[in-house]
Amino acid sequence: MNTFIKSVKEENQIIIIETNGYLNNEGGEAISAICYEKIKVGHHKFLINMAGTKVVNSIGVSILIEIIEKLQEVDGRIGYYNLAPIVVKTFNIMGLTKYSTVFTTEEEAVGTL
Amino acid sequence: MSKQFNINELQLKYLELETLLDITNELNSFENVSILLQEILVKSCAVLNASSGLILMQNNNSDLFQIEAEFNINVEALKGTIFNKKIGFFNEVNQNHKPIYVQIVDDPFLARTNCTHGLIAPLLDKKNLLGVIVLFDKESRFGISTFDESDANMLFAIASQSGVAYNNIKLIENIKEAKTFNDNIMQSIVTGVFTTNLMGEINHVNRAAAAIINLEREMVIGNHYEYVFESNEIINQLISKCEVELETVSETQIQIDCNGKSTSVNISVSPLLNDLNEPIGSVVALEDLSNLNKLKSTFKKYVSKQIVDQLLENEDLLNLGGQEQEATILFSDIRGFTSMSETMTPKEVVETLNEYFNLMIEIIFKYNGTLDKIIGDALMVIYGAPNSTGKDTENAVLTAIEMQEKLIEFNQLRIIHSKPPITIGIGINSGKVISGNIGSRQQMNFTVIGDSVNLASRLCSVAASNEIIVSDVVWKQVKANKLLKGKKLTPVKVKGKIKPIEIKEILYHRPPFDYEQAFLKIENFLITHLPINYTYHTIDHIRDVVEQSEKIAIKENMSLAEIKDIKLAAWLHDVGYIWSPMRHEARGAEYATAILTALNLPKAKINTITGMIMATNIPQSPKNLYEQIICDADLDYLGREDYEKNSNNLLQEIQLNKKITDLEWLTIQNKFLMAHHYFTQYSQKSRKEKKHVRLKLIQKQIKAIKNGTS
Repeated sequence: MNTFIKSVKEENQIIIIETNGYLNNEGGEAISAICYEKIKVGHHKFLINMAGTKVVNSIGVSILIEIIEKLQEVDGRIGYYNLAPIVVKTFNIMGLTKYSTVFTTEEEAVGTL
Repeated sequence: MSKQFNINELQLKYLELETLLDITNELNSFENVSILLQEILVKSCAVLNASSGLILMQNNNSDLFQIEAEFNINVEALKGTIFNKKIGFFNEVNQNHKPIYVQIVDDPFLARTNCTHGLIAPLLDKKNLLGVIVLFDKESRFGISTFDESDANMLFAIASQSGVAYNNIKLIENIKEAKTFNDNIMQSIVTGVFTTNLMGEINHVNRAAAAIINLEREMVIGNHYEYVFESNEIINQLISKCEVELETVSETQIQIDCNGKSTSVNISVSPLLNDLNEPIGSVVALEDLSNLNKLKSTFKKYVSKQIVDQLLENEDLLNLGGQEQEATILFSDIRGFTSMSETMTPKEVVETLNEYFNLMIEIIFKYNGTLDKIIGDALMVIYGAPNSTGKDTENAVLTAIEMQEKLIEFNQLRIIHSKPPITIGIGINSGKVISGNIGSRQQMNFTVIGDSVNLASRLCSVAASNEIIVSDVVWKQVKANKLLKGKKLTPVKVKGKIKPIEIKEILYHRPPFDYEQAFLKIENFLITHLPINYTYHTIDHIRDVVEQSEKIAIKENMSLAEIKDIKLAAWLHDVGYIWSPMRHEARGAEYATAILTALNLPKAKINTITGMIMATNIPQSPKNLYEQIICDADLDYLGREDYEKNSNNLLQEIQLNKKITDLEWLTIQNKFLMAHHYFTQYSQKSRKEKKHVRLKLIQKQIKAIKNGTS
């Protein structure tokens, strides 16, 4: 597993991925690899705990958009929580928040998603 | 990928602008350069899609860069890499102050990062290169790509903003550092410093100042100086004067009283000016003199004030080593102290020596002598070394004279208090000596050595009690002073010299005997020392004898001078009772001899006085008119109206040791009166008859008791 992925767990049929570090091309691909694998086995809901990720670039965001597109094909959803304000701002500018949800806590995310 | 989800150029530009705006907004909020650089790097990497980055800043002391911030890069790979601003890509950036895109593979050092492309932008402070920001490997969804002009412009914009922010933070850090540095200096210096602002409020106090003024800093800061120094008008006046005149004002050795603590300080107040030379307050410096005074005070026990001041001003004087120079050396020695001390307790010996040394050393320092050493009861004093006053030999002689004169006064008190007098001999010589600090670094003594020193010591041995013996060399140097009188003595042979040494005795004034002073001193001594349980031999009896002796002496046509001697004997005739009634006349005569000698009464007169004292021994046996007068005065009351009163007092005193019956007492009186007779014409004429009446009365009383009719 890439060091960017800190942990992966399942809760209420939701796959929760905890990240750590720069969400760039490499980090994005590490997330997408897990998501695509889980989609194949029937999982459609994903949450990303970004407490350890304080920096994202547009390539990382692009990969997240690719994942959203893939999930739309299976009526799946993705959300994020524990985001740094700068990450929230980047997600907003890049339009990501129009197609996925930013949550404050894991409980809120698990309960809503 | 659907079109609606595509990230378009506009969004990316928006992100870039937002990032730049964030950086601009945040730049001034960073207080720490490291955090600033890290934040700039991270945001630059993010906005420009760089996979990693470094910020290298120039070392203050060289052309080399060092890594100050890193992002997403293996810095271990760069360990030991030298980044020189005058070499390679960095030189290009340094020269042009423009960003460049580079192929990392072209740089042997950056190639260690395993990156392929780089964008390097200068961090500038105006025209100076502060450092560089290096971004590696621009990411895309299709792999690593090269940075383009747009990226370069963006990074250059960020770097330009960052340069300014970096400089601001550096300036603030420098100011803080300078303030801390100044604060540390202020806190560590021993001089107390405080400052006031234009309002007169104290806005800075260092630790030393707080200690000197004996107040917590918190109690001083923000308060007006007039309030803080309410009880120290001098400080307020100085600050006020400085505020008005805008000039430094100072006072030395002033005593300030702060919060119940009195301290001696030097104070200096200077105007505090800004860059435009405008006053912004005052700075007050307080130099605590208490330690210095303590040091001086301790030091002054050994050397004179002048020497202390010289040593404090010039520490070189404390170096080990010696120099040949002219000096005068005085030796003094107590005569017969060893035998005298044998009769004293160790405590009395120490007390006597301390009293004596205190007196002598005070005189030595008065004449700028340096107390070289105390050897038992002897003193060695140096004049002219380490520094000369220009009249060192004269000072030495004047010291010796004053020592001898002071000793007369000292001995008068000692004898009066029944203590043995101290007499000294003094020897003085002058000549070349080797002077310097001799000993080790830990303990050194300033001293002088040489032949001249030895001769001074020999002359001291030659000097008898009360004598000051000087070498001919000394006499030649001081004889111009007409107040000094020298008496030529037979040259003496001293140890170590082949030829006899020419010597002089310095004569000094010995005050004539002062009768009135002597009367007072003896009277005080009697009052304080006569046993309090005595009822007859009291100060009243002695005063009566003095009065009667004067009266009889006048009637017997004695001269005024003779009357004084008689009165002196009267004051002393019962002094022996202080020690014991047994043989009190002999003890009194002994005491009288000692005190009158010390008081400089001629020996013949002393003999007259002691003769009078001894003549009062019962049965009285006067050999001359002096003695007849004192004898008659002593028993004058036998023929007076107040006989009864005196008789009762005597009985009471006798009964302290032995119970006597009335008959016994009457019998004693009868026997005594029968045996007694007055010697002088005056007493025979004025007292004989009444004494006879008294005798008859006593005899009648005895008879009545014996007959049982009393």
